[in-house]
Amino acid sequence: MHDGIHVENAGIPSATICTDRFVPTAQGMAKMWGAPDYPTIFTPHPIENLSREALRTRAEELAPQVVRVLTGEG
Amino acid sequence: MPDSGDTTTVQWDSALEAIERCYELGWTDGLPVVPPTEQRVGEFIERSGRPGEEVVGEIPERRREITVAKVAANAVMAGCLPEYMPVLLTATEAMLDPVFNLVGPSSSMGGSAILSIVNGPICKELNINSRNNLFGPGNRANATIGRAVRLVLMNACAAIPGVFDRSVIGHPGKYTYCIAEADTETHWTPLHVERGFSADQSTVTVFAGESPRQVRAVGHPEPILIALSDVASSLGSNMSTSGSVGDTGIGVRQGQIVVTIAGNSNLWKDWTKAQVREFVHARTQRSVADLKAAMVLKGDPEPGDAETMISLIPEPDDILLIFAGGEESNMSSVIPSWGPKVGSTAVTKLIR
Repeated sequence: MHDGIHVENAGIPSATICTDRFVPTAQGMAKMWGAPDYPTIFTPHPIENLSREALRTRAEELAPQVVRVLTGEG
Repeated sequence: MPDSGDTTTVQWDSALEAIERCYELGWTDGLPVVPPTEQRVGEFIERSGRPGEEVVGEIPERRREITVAKVAANAVMAGCLPEYMPVLLTATEAMLDPVFNLVGPSSSMGGSAILSIVNGPICKELNINSRNNLFGPGNRANATIGRAVRLVLMNACAAIPGVFDRSVIGHPGKYTYCIAEADTETHWTPLHVERGFSADQSTVTVFAGESPRQVRAVGHPEPILIALSDVASSLGSNMSTSGSVGDTGIGVRQGQIVVTIAGNSNLWKDWTKAQVREFVHARTQRSVADLKAAMVLKGDPEPGDAETMISLIPEPDDILLIFAGGEESNMSSVIPSWGPKVGSTAVTKLIR
């Protein structure tokens, strides 16, 4: 969240993906940095133990949202 | 919702009302706090000998600067005495040192508490307990310094449960976790001297730890160390889980540990701290077979797995050994680190 907000503030489009257990934490960080409407993408928790294939599938599912956020249509 | 970390001034008409108001403001750890009146906070700042606005450290990721005044306010709330301020300021400086990486242990789902270990003459001056009921209740300095560390974390460092503190099961030591080494009651070199200070100096060492595991053993050195090492080697600690942080080539998260050994110092007359560390380090390991069975390591069982051992502690010097605890030699304790050493390393600072 921190890095995504800072990259965005530096003028580079960013998209941040968080697992859904961290909604309050992500929102808290966005508020702390004065970006309460920062468009965070949430995905089911956890991802740490996903196999390579499952992680790829997850990434493919999220890709359209990432594109929408990066192009300002999120 | 996280606050801005700014100072708030409120009015109250009675002590009880003030205590309740502190709850409403979200300033407590769940227990009642001493209302931090301007006068009392001012006394604590004065006693510290440092300006209230002096910055002790910062957490840039959370836009927080921790000042002497903020530490003082939390010290008051925790029930500290003004003379505890130098210890608390040092503990705060230590946990804001970059190698401690406070953002990790104060936010992680793994959940740690910040253990403060005090060494040197100040332990006697402030009556910081290093003996019976080491981690237990009943002594003001230990109880309130440890509590103040947690209130500094929550109120000044934004380690707010459920927001930036995402610990899954929490930790009783998060209410208070402060001990001393009985460094004048042993021939062993005190922890702070081993870490580069002199015996007449006082220090605080901070360590991001799991809870203490009591180790009961026959009261002789080798059986005590064998039992200690066995407990330190258990599956399910941070150190015996997958190495997703740091050097993932090792397969486990090698971390530091704190070991407390007490009883009669004479029992250890043939042992130096270095020898104890070598002994424990060599035995704090786990077989590839066990780690595969627990799915810490991936892969099918192979011949030789049962004999191939992986160390859970990087180096013998990563064992912080202190002489502390009650007078019985058969009880010691092991505290595994919250994370891998690269994720948080113990820090010792001089009390000024």
